[in-house]
Amino acid sequence: MNIKLLLGVIAIVGFTSLMMYNFGESLSQYSDFEMASESSGAHVVGDWVKEEPYGFSRESKQFSFYMKDEKGNIRQVVYPKPKPNNFEEAERLVVIGSVKKVQINGENKEIFYASQMLMKCPSKYNEVNPNEIPGMPAAENS
Amino acid sequence: MLGLIGKALISASFIFSLLAAIVYFLSARKEDNRLYVLGNTLFALKTVFITVASVILVFLLVQHQFQYYYVFNYSSIDMPLKYLISAFYGGQEGSFMLWIAISGFIGLGLMKWTKAPYKAPVLFFMTFTQVFLISMIVGWDFGDLRIGASPFRTLAYEMPNAPFLQSNPDFIPTDGKGLNDLLKSPWMMIHPPMLFVGFAMMTVPFCFAMAALWKGKYVDWVKPALPWTLMANVMLLTAIFLGGYWAYVTLSFGGYWAWDPVENASLVPWLIGAAGIHAMVITNKSGRNQKTAILFAILSYIAIVYETFLTRSGVLSDSSVHSFVDLGLFNQLLIFMATMIILGLGMFVARLKDFPKASKNKNQGFFSGEFMTFMGSMLLFLLGFVIVTGTSSPILGKLFVSNPTPPDISFYNNWTMPIVMIMAVFTVLGQMVFWKRQNVDSLSMELIVPVILAAVATMASIYFAQTRHIYYILYIFVGWFALFGNGKVLYSHIKKDPKRTGGVITHLGFAILLLGIIASSAFNDILIDERVAAYNQRVEEGGVIDDNGVPVTEPVNFLELYLNQPKVIGNKYIATYEGYDLTQISRPGEQSYRIKLQPIDAQESESIVVNPVVYPMRPGANATSINWSVDPDVSTGWAKDIFIYVAGSSYVDRRNKLFEKDLLSRGVAQSEIGMDHDHDGDGVPDHGVGSDAHRANEEAVNDSLNTQTLSFTLNEHLAVGGFTFHFNEFIYPSPEELPDSTVIGVRADITVGREGGTDSQTIQPLFVLVNKENSTWAYSPPIEIPDWGLTFSFEQVKPESSQIEIQVKGLSEKYEPEWILLVAENKPFISVVWLGTFLLMGGMSISIFRRWAEVKKYEKIAAS
Repeated sequence: MNIKLLLGVIAIVGFTSLMMYNFGESLSQYSDFEMASESSGAHVVGDWVKEEPYGFSRESKQFSFYMKDEKGNIRQVVYPKPKPNNFEEAERLVVIGSVKKVQINGENKEIFYASQMLMKCPSKYNEVNPNEIPGMPAAENS
Repeated sequence: MLGLIGKALISASFIFSLLAAIVYFLSARKEDNRLYVLGNTLFALKTVFITVASVILVFLLVQHQFQYYYVFNYSSIDMPLKYLISAFYGGQEGSFMLWIAISGFIGLGLMKWTKAPYKAPVLFFMTFTQVFLISMIVGWDFGDLRIGASPFRTLAYEMPNAPFLQSNPDFIPTDGKGLNDLLKSPWMMIHPPMLFVGFAMMTVPFCFAMAALWKGKYVDWVKPALPWTLMANVMLLTAIFLGGYWAYVTLSFGGYWAWDPVENASLVPWLIGAAGIHAMVITNKSGRNQKTAILFAILSYIAIVYETFLTRSGVLSDSSVHSFVDLGLFNQLLIFMATMIILGLGMFVARLKDFPKASKNKNQGFFSGEFMTFMGSMLLFLLGFVIVTGTSSPILGKLFVSNPTPPDISFYNNWTMPIVMIMAVFTVLGQMVFWKRQNVDSLSMELIVPVILAAVATMASIYFAQTRHIYYILYIFVGWFALFGNGKVLYSHIKKDPKRTGGVITHLGFAILLLGIIASSAFNDILIDERVAAYNQRVEEGGVIDDNGVPVTEPVNFLELYLNQPKVIGNKYIATYEGYDLTQISRPGEQSYRIKLQPIDAQESESIVVNPVVYPMRPGANATSINWSVDPDVSTGWAKDIFIYVAGSSYVDRRNKLFEKDLLSRGVAQSEIGMDHDHDGDGVPDHGVGSDAHRANEEAVNDSLNTQTLSFTLNEHLAVGGFTFHFNEFIYPSPEELPDSTVIGVRADITVGREGGTDSQTIQPLFVLVNKENSTWAYSPPIEIPDWGLTFSFEQVKPESSQIEIQVKGLSEKYEPEWILLVAENKPFISVVWLGTFLLMGGMSISIFRRWAEVKKYEKIAAS
C-alpha cells in the first residue's frame, strides 16, 4: 500500500476520532430539576411561572424567579446577574447550573443556581395563538 | 384576490422551472441549441413570475392586508415603510422567495456569460435547484399531502379550527403581530438580502462542477466559475459581518460572535467556498487538483443546503436562540438535501476513474505554491468540518447522549483556534512561494524580517496586555507573523502589479482579523467600581453568603450609579449618571440615559457622554408585565470600544410597580385613583365650596401621608424628595370656571419632574378666595399625579412678592436618589476585527476583477 495514502488515512481517522471524542465530551444533556440535583452544569428546560414572585434584588445582586420544568417540577431559580433581556417574552427558558439544597425557616428547599440562562424567544418564528389576534370579535373570545 | 394571483404565479413559476429543467436537460444531452433557447425563455418567465409574486407580497404587506397569515405574522400598522418592505423576507416563506428571485437573476447572468459546452448543463443544475426551492413555497394540497407553505395562505386556512374564523371567514385582524424590536435595525434590513445573494451565487460553482463532471471537462470550468465563487464569498462575508455587527451593537451579550448554529450556518458555506477557491486557483494555474476543486465546489453548495435544512426544519429549534420552527417542510427539506448530496457526491464518485492521472512534476514539493495553496484549501475545509460537527449536535450528539445540548463554546474555541493558527503560518509561506520559486534557503532569508518584527511586536503586546498565558502569547506571535509576512509580500508586490494584489490583501486581512479576534476576546475588560471590586474579591474568597445561605460563586459585572454621584470605574473613567431623556416617538416609553465618562487622567472637556437606551417592547395582547429591552451604546474608537448598557433603573422599577398596580385594579370596578382623577377633570363646584367636612376629610388623609409645603416665587426651581418643581406662571381663569362670589381666583402653572428625568408633568392647581355672607374662606381643590403618588393643593398666594405656597402629599423625606445598574466594558481592538473583515472583502473584490479579466482574455484567445 502507498505509504503516503496510509499516513493520510491515519491522520484523517486520528483527527476525526479525537475531534468526535472531544465533541462528545463537550455536550451535555437537557434534563429536569430532579435529574439536575445530581449533576453540576445541568441544562434544564422549562417555563417561567408568572404567578410566583420574580425580580432582581439590588441587595443580594441576584435575579430570582420560579421555573417549571418539562416534568412539572417547580423550583426557584437564582441567577447572579440583572434580569436578562427579553426574559418576560421568552416562551421557553434554558437554565444552566446546579441545584443547591438549602434550609429556610427549618424547611428543606431546593434552589437552582443558574450560571447561564438562554431565552428562546417566540419573536417571529412562531405559531399564532388565536387569542392574540387584535380586532377579534369579543364574543368568540371566551 | 391578489393572494390568489400570487399563489398562481408561484405555481406557474414552479411548473415553468420544472419544464425548463427538462428542456435544459435534453439540450445538454443532445447539445441542442434550440432547446437551450427554449429553456432560457422558460427560465426567464419563471423569474418574471416569482418577481411579480414577490412584488405582490410586498404590496400586501405595505397595504396591511392582515387576512394573510404572512402579513399578519410579520408586520403591523405601526411599522415604517422600510421595515414593511423588509418584512417580505422576515419569515421562512418570504426568505425562500427572495432566494429564488435572486437565483433567477443570477440564472439570467449565467445565460449571458456562460459558454458551451457548460452553458446548458450549468443552467440545468441551476434550474434543478430552483425546482426544489420553489416547491417549498408552492402551497399545493393533495388531500393530506401538503407541498410547500405558500406565503399567500390566509389566516382562515392556517387556523381552520378557530371558531371566530369559522363563523366569520372574512374576518380581518385590525393589526398584525409585528416585528421584534430587536430586528428593527438597518443592519438587519440588508443582512438577509446579502445572505441570499451569497447563497444563490454559491450555487454557481456547484452547477459548473456538476457540468464539468457531466461533460468530462474537468479544467475549463474553473475560469468562469471563479469570479462567481469569489463574489459569493464576498457576499456571504458581508452578510456575516452585518449579522455580527448587529449582534454587537444591539444585543447585550457584548460580542460579535457566539457560535450560534444559525451564525455557523452562514460561516460554514463561506469556509468551504474559500476552500473551493483555493483548489480552483491551483487547477486554473496548473491544471492540477481537479478532483479537489470539483469536490469542494459541490460541497460548498451542499453545505448551504445542509445548513438550510438544519435551520429551517425545526431540528435546531432547541439549540439555537433564533432558528425557525418547522413549517411542515421537514420532509421536503430532507429530500432536497438528500438529492443534492446523492447527486453531487454520486456523480463525483462515478467519475473518479475518469479524471486524468496527475503527472509527476518537479514543481510539487513542500515549497511549491501549489502545495501551499492545497494546504490552505484543506485547512479551510477542516475548519468548516469542525464547525459543521458542532452545529450538528442535535443529530450527531445523539451518538453520545439521548437529548443533547449544543457543545460547550470551548469545543469551538479549542478546535478552531489551533487550525486557524496553522492557517495563519501557511498564509505567509504560501504567499511567499506562490509568486516566486523558492527553496529552503531563499525562503528562510525572506522569513527573517517578519519573524524578527513579529517577535518584537509580541513582546510589546505582552508588555502592554500584561499576559502570561502561553496560548495567548503563541496566538499573538502567530498573528503578528502573519501580518508582517503578508505585509512584506504586499509591499514588494504593490508597485509591480497592483491588479494582482487581491490574494495577498485577502491574506493580510485574515491576519489582521486574527489579531483583532485575539485582542478583543482575550483582553475584554469589565469596568467596575471599587466597591464591586471589593465585593468580587470577597466572592472569590468565598466570603459572600446569600439570603438562602448559599455561598455566592459568580462575580458581578455591573455597578450602581446614583444621579450626579460620580464613581471611578475600572481605574480608567469617572462615570457620572446625569439623568435620562424620555421619548414617546418611535418606541413610546423609551429612556435614553446620559452617562458621562471622563478619562481619569484627562480634562473634563475630553469626557464623552454615552446614551444607552432601555425601552418597553411592543406588548402582546395579554401582557402581564412590561418587557423591557436594552439597546447598548457603543462608543467606537481605534484602540478600544466602550460598550455600555443599562441593566436596570429606578425609572424602570417605578414603571413596573405602576403596571402591577394597574393590572390589579383592572377589572375591579374602578379604582379610587381613577375616580378622583376623573373628578379633577370635570371641574370645581360639585364638591360643595369649602365645606368643613371636605377639609376635615382632607386633614385625616394628610396625617397618614407625608405632607410638605413648598414655598416658591415665580420662575423658581425647587428639588425636593427626588422631584423637581418649577413655578412657571400665574394663570387667571375665566369667571365661568370659578365659583360664585369669588374674590380672587388664580392658578399656578407648575412643572413637576423626576430628578434626572425628562418625563415631566404640568399641574395647574387652583386657589380661590370666596366671600359669601360676610365670611371669607380659601378654596383649593387637590390635584393628583397618580403615577408618582403625589397630591397637590394650592395653599396661599402672596401677591406682593408673587410667592406661593403649595402643599404636597406623598413626598418622602428619605427618598432614594435616582439610580441605574450599569454594565460597562472596555473592548480593545474591535475596530481591528472590522478592518480585517473589510480587507478580506476588498482583497477578494480585487481578485474578482482580475479573474473576470482573465475570463475575457481567455475568450478572446479562444475566439481568434
